[in-house]
Amino acid sequence: MYQLLLTFKYLTHKVMPLLAALAVTLCTAMVLIVWSVMGGFLTTFLQSGKTLIGDVLISYPTTGFAHYDDLCRRLEADPMVEAAAPIIESFGMLQLPLSGTPRTGMLWGVDPDSFDRVVKFRDSLWWQPLDKPMPTDTKGIDLRLDPDWKSRLKEVRDWGNALAVPREGSPNDARAALVVGVMMGGYNERLSGGVLDPYIFLPGRKATLSVVPLDGRGTSLSVQSRILPIANQFHTGLFELDANLTLLRLDELQAMLYMDEAERVQRDAAGNIVTRPDPETGQPRPVMIRNPARVTTVLVKAKPGITEPTLQARVREIYAEFARANQGQISPPPDSEDKNLQVQTWKSRHGTMIGAIEKEIGLMLFLFGIISLTAVFLVLAIFWAMVSEKTKDIGVLRAIGASRRGVAGLWLSYGLAIGLVGAILGGIAALLIVGNINPIHEWLGRQFGLVVWDPQIYYFSRIPSDMDPIRAMIVLVGGVLSSVAGALIPALKAAYMDPVRSLRFE
Amino acid sequence: MTTAAPPSAQTIVSVSNLHKTYRLGRVDVPVLRGVSLDVRRGEWLAIRGASGSGKSTLLHLIGGLDRPDRGAGSTIRFRDSVLSDLRAGDLDQYRATNVGFVFQFYHLLPELTVLQNVTIASMVRDGLGHKSSAATDKAKALLTTFGLGERLRHRPAELSGGERQRVAIARALINDPDVLLADEPTGNLDRATGDKILDALAKVRAERGQTMIMVTHDAEVASRADRVVNLTDGRIVG
Ligand SMILES: Nc1ncnc2c1ncn2[C@@H]1O[C@H](COP(=O)(O)OP(=O)(O)OP(=O)(O)O)[C@@H](O)[C@H]1O
Ligand SMILES: [Mg+2]
Repeated sequence: MYQLLLTFKYLTHKVMPLLAALAVTLCTAMVLIVWSVMGGFLTTFLQSGKTLIGDVLISYPTTGFAHYDDLCRRLEADPMVEAAAPIIESFGMLQLPLSGTPRTGMLWGVDPDSFDRVVKFRDSLWWQPLDKPMPTDTKGIDLRLDPDWKSRLKEVRDWGNALAVPREGSPNDARAALVVGVMMGGYNERLSGGVLDPYIFLPGRKATLSVVPLDGRGTSLSVQSRILPIANQFHTGLFELDANLTLLRLDELQAMLYMDEAERVQRDAAGNIVTRPDPETGQPRPVMIRNPARVTTVLVKAKPGITEPTLQARVREIYAEFARANQGQISPPPDSEDKNLQVQTWKSRHGTMIGAIEKEIGLMLFLFGIISLTAVFLVLAIFWAMVSEKTKDIGVLRAIGASRRGVAGLWLSYGLAIGLVGAILGGIAALLIVGNINPIHEWLGRQFGLVVWDPQIYYFSRIPSDMDPIRAMIVLVGGVLSSVAGALIPALKAAYMDPVRSLRFE
Repeated sequence: MTTAAPPSAQTIVSVSNLHKTYRLGRVDVPVLRGVSLDVRRGEWLAIRGASGSGKSTLLHLIGGLDRPDRGAGSTIRFRDSVLSDLRAGDLDQYRATNVGFVFQFYHLLPELTVLQNVTIASMVRDGLGHKSSAATDKAKALLTTFGLGERLRHRPAELSGGERQRVAIARALINDPDVLLADEPTGNLDRATGDKILDALAKVRAERGQTMIMVTHDAEVASRADRVVNLTDGRIVG
């Protein structure tokens, strides 16, 4: 009782312990901001990572596998599967307009319709008319709002949707086109609010794409180059994709990589060319067969409510059935036990990356937790000084009957109050800072040229943040507890003071 | 003054053969060397003695703030119980309910108002069972009898020395203690103000029959008491 009264009085009459509260405020805010930004970073990374790869992936790198249409049919017939999309994951060299050197990057061949069903890629097309500005674009400076651009943007949106551009003079005849990431080659400047301002508007321009096809044994064949129009650009927010990935129509890439359906020499299991004597000359001649088209990967999207591990297990079964059913075909799909065949969730695809980020978050929290120990010591030092200052009052309390425990309780409850004040203020500060972290960062950049968040390093162009209530509770409770911990030793000192000495204290 | 007699029903505090030695480095400083003293219920006793004779030490021992030397046969009896037999918790309870201290330098808590400085003693005694309105009423009544009814919301720093000491007396009395222990209650005040404090104490004694043990080095102050004893060389002399 008297502890509460005195705690309240000390809280409202003493300035120095408010510095201790301030230390608690700073430490809780710091830890909470770090955790929120890093956690938001991980969440955004995970979401963006998922943006273009769906829930579960079946992949057989480089050479790929055939009869994927049958696999996709089987997958889409399953009640757990929303959609499936065959793609080729490969690499290519891209010579962009007005740039000196070609750049190497990821190259995916996708079928626009199925790819959109699985990963909603059409939503990620950047160049399309906007009716209202993005929430972050407070000044409405986005080019895509400009009425003069509307018809042009509509046109390039249609190109992007089809991954194709009509041939000049024959509008019904389209040719395959590229969709490149918005950050590729630095053609777009990022303005505040995440608005892009193109130095050069890429859609409609041409780029040269070179790929290296491999034969069944992984030996490279001659380099294939094509000059292709750019249809549009995509934006995922994941810097690695936005700066490095190019999309092309699946059939076009299959043709360039010799993965399309065609008459080819037959090879046996060991990769040797199968021959047969020519009926006229008797010379051995390669046997030609009609090889089916191949892809390296099938992306699978789960029906709502189906977890990724559940879907992954089901996809494994479906693949095994598919492999068995196609055993007798020309170029049968790899056995489900084949080591190169992978059925992964999107999380395990990014596994090392996610693990690294999680470790980094843990490490950061550990370091900032250590730094937060300074708050404990600050509370300790200030309370120690205050207990000394209040020696006589402690003697008085003992003289009117307060127990040692009661006196210790007074200082602990005071520490608790300081911790509560500090932690609550810290929580509010963190909430404000985390909620406005991008404007603050932009302001720092404008005022002091300070760019803490470099998208090259951190994958995202905007600082993600995500204030989780449970984490906030943990940090706030931690802040309160560290204040109480700091008050503990002074509280014991107060409790074990000799009351007579305290009363004689000058 | 005989000392060895068993405490009678009239006796509320009985001190016998009390020893207290302080240790200064390796030197033992004996302060009390066999003090024996009986205090009757309702009595106003003054203990006189030179500075450094151990008056405060004796009062702290009687008030249960300190413990006498072990093994010297020292006993302080309050009614039927021997203080040195009490456990720490019981001794806290004894200080809260059976005795009330008044100090030379008032020792009010500077952050609390006059009223709160009085009620806090009742809060300490009652813990969670504290009845705030009853305590407040009682404190107000006490402060009013000491002429401080208009100063309830003031802080100690805004009061004169005499006013502060009256607040301290009110604090000592709020729990209706059996014994009031006053250590040089006028020692820090001028003669006229000191006399008013003594008037207030006399009034308390007259109205409540309050047992009071008052320590002073001043003969004139001591003369207000019913009985005066002298503390000399660590012993009580008549
Ligand atoms: N903690 C201690 N350690 C050592 N000596 C002490 C201690 N406390 C008191 N003393 C000594 O005990 C003696 C008695 O002190 P006490 O305060 O009881 O005297 P007093 O009669 O109240 O004096 P005054 O009239 O000046 O208040 C003094 O000589 C003092 O120096
Ligand atoms: Mg003294």
